[in-house]
Amino acid sequence: MEAEAAKYIGAGLATFGMIGAAIGVGTIFGNFLSGATRNPSAAGGQFTNLILGAALTEALGILAFVLGLLILFS
Amino acid sequence: MASPMEQFKIQEGLQLPTVPLPGGLAIDLSLNNSIMAMLIAAGLVIAFFTVATSRTAVVPGRVQLMAEGVFSYIDDMAAGIIGPESRKFFPYVFSMFLFVLSMNMLGLFLAFTATSQLAVTGTLALITFLLVTIVGFARNGISMYKLFVPEGTPWYMLLLVTPIEIISFFLRPVTLALRLFGNMLGGHVALKVFAGFVYSLASLGAVGIVGAILPLAGVVALTSLEFLVAFLQAFVFAVLTCVYLNDVDNLGHHH
Amino acid sequence: MAAEEIPHVPGAVPSALEGAYAGTATAENGGGGGLPQFEVEYWGGQIVWLLLIFFVLYILMSRVFIPRLRRVQDTRAQTIASAVAEARRVQDEADDQAAAARAEIDQARTRARIVAAEAKAKANAEFATRQAEADARIAEEVAAAETRIRGLRDSAMASVGDIAVETAGAMVQRLTGTAVSAADLRAAVKGAA
Repeated sequence: MEAEAAKYIGAGLATFGMIGAAIGVGTIFGNFLSGATRNPSAAGGQFTNLILGAALTEALGILAFVLGLLILFS
Repeated sequence: MASPMEQFKIQEGLQLPTVPLPGGLAIDLSLNNSIMAMLIAAGLVIAFFTVATSRTAVVPGRVQLMAEGVFSYIDDMAAGIIGPESRKFFPYVFSMFLFVLSMNMLGLFLAFTATSQLAVTGTLALITFLLVTIVGFARNGISMYKLFVPEGTPWYMLLLVTPIEIISFFLRPVTLALRLFGNMLGGHVALKVFAGFVYSLASLGAVGIVGAILPLAGVVALTSLEFLVAFLQAFVFAVLTCVYLNDVDNLGHHH
Repeated sequence: MAAEEIPHVPGAVPSALEGAYAGTATAENGGGGGLPQFEVEYWGGQIVWLLLIFFVLYILMSRVFIPRLRRVQDTRAQTIASAVAEARRVQDEADDQAAAARAEIDQARTRARIVAAEAKAKANAEFATRQAEADARIAEEVAAAETRIRGLRDSAMASVGDIAVETAGAMVQRLTGTAVSAADLRAAVKGAA
């Protein structure tokens, strides 16, 4: 296999890491919604926590994405 | 058609002297598009607040109301996370939020996105990391180690927990920088890729032009999403700064 | 990474349609390439300028803008607080006045009630005495009348015997033609009674 082709395959594989982040962020927002519909009065106060959790989870996906770009462009 | 990475290229502008550093390194102070974007972003923030606060009235005007809205939003957020001592760190959090937000937003108006430069986000993250560390040592002295030794953990668990805590502490600036960088980079690359679809399809003839409507709608939708991301990433940067500051400021007594 | 690259890259070479993405630009730039973000020769300038800009922004924020906004917010909070306090004071005053008025009304009502009760009591007492007087007078008259009636009855009852004796004597004389002595008649009448 050519090295160039292996690089593209590797970059594609690296972005698989975003799947996990996607699932995680989906879980966070889904659970927030189900909690918020049960107790809408408490939902507003948890917005910061929601964003915080989503950001921390998303960081790992972004890490995979950046890694993919690094492989692709190096 | 240019590569989607073309937009992140540094284009040199006004030439300024290069400052040599010991160790063979040199810092080129020439203005380029990234630096211009930063200057414009900071200038916009300063101009906005100069206008908004030039004639402060108890009954605010429209511009002052906007400024006060942003101010109260971040102030409440910081006070909610750090507690009563948030006022000391508020100027830092507030200027960080506004600067990042301004740079993110500027990138969506056909200008250069300074926050898509790893050097910029890395520096911002490092400033925050250094501030957190300095505040931590100034506040707690040697008992800063408690940050890595959670209270009430059995000793055999500490063997596992402490290295993890130390690693995660030093990974904070990395994730802080990469999150902002990756979000901006990814969003703008996706925008350019979709815009590239429009161009390639439209150059195929009549059928292609009709087909190009779809990616064009995608670009519009992505642009609105990018506005949300631009705000959210600035907010997340501010929130995480507050959380890290709270960790060292209220070490030992949680609230 | 891209340190050896020439600073003045004239942008990516326009590429074919399918080569628009991915690393074609890299390949065409001739080795190295990489993300524009990793062209480290531009890092120093960006970092220095960023520190400078952020420092200026921070100083302006902490020295000028935030104190101004804090001041106006504090002033507003003070204004609102003093207005609320003033309103509360006025409200309290009004409440006090209302309470005083109510107390006055209550007092007046109590006084009126007392006066009315007194008047009623006086009237009652007068009425009672007058009634008692009347009762006493009536009772006296009744007693007097009764005494008189009793006297009349007694005298009438006393004269009934005489009448009976006379009548009996007269009847006996008319029937028998003989006069009967008064003593006999009396005895006979008594026996018949």
